[in-house]
Amino acid sequence: MSGDAQPSAAHVGHGPTAGRDDGSKPFNARQLARIDEALTLSSRESGLTFSVYVGELAEPTRATAEELFEKLATEADGAVLLAVSPGQRRLHIVTGEASAPRLPNRACALAALGMRAAFANGDLTGGIVTGLRMLADSAGRK
Amino acid sequence: MSIAQTALVFAGIPILIVGTFALLVFGPSEVRQPNRYRPGKPWTYPPVWYLPRPTAELGSASGGHAAVAAPVRPAIEAGGSASASAPIPQAVGGASGEW
Repeated sequence: MSGDAQPSAAHVGHGPTAGRDDGSKPFNARQLARIDEALTLSSRESGLTFSVYVGELAEPTRATAEELFEKLATEADGAVLLAVSPGQRRLHIVTGEASAPRLPNRACALAALGMRAAFANGDLTGGIVTGLRMLADSAGRK
Repeated sequence: MSIAQTALVFAGIPILIVGTFALLVFGPSEVRQPNRYRPGKPWTYPPVWYLPRPTAELGSASGGHAAVAAPVRPAIEAGGSASASAPIPQAVGGASGEW
């Protein structure tokens, strides 16, 4: 995992994998490793920059996700944001001008469906990994 | 049998047995994943935002957990303002879902 940020602008000082399972972190080391692998591989294969946000999204959630995406897209080309709010049981996939031609809305909807199925079973990590893989498969190789 | 003995035999032993089985059933998952997400439960963790590792780093990473702990590139400053010169990229498409 290469970076994390909080919407409140306060940086998390430690790396996401630095903790034990003390209950203060949503994912344990193994789950983080799975997400990291999926993120890095899907980004490398497709040439897009996938990014995963997990946390509360202010209402309206779609607009908040698009704001986050705009911040991401100023830093990276071909950005794709997967925003997941487990508390609100919402997920948003956001594509931009560079990534939308590779990932039509139909492909995003399919990935969202796969993620929803896993999330409904309580499998956050599995859902995120599934979504990343499905999106990377739809985008194809760069 | 006195009342204390009766209570011990007819209440204490069943409670002990039920407790043992409950521990066997629910214990391991509580130890392994104390923070497991269940739909409908509130989400109390601070937001996290993960980015892929930069490609330049992939060659030097030794894989596995060592790679995970590799140096990170600067995290996106979510609260900061974007550089004023570049046009702000707009979200074009995507999908949403609820569960």
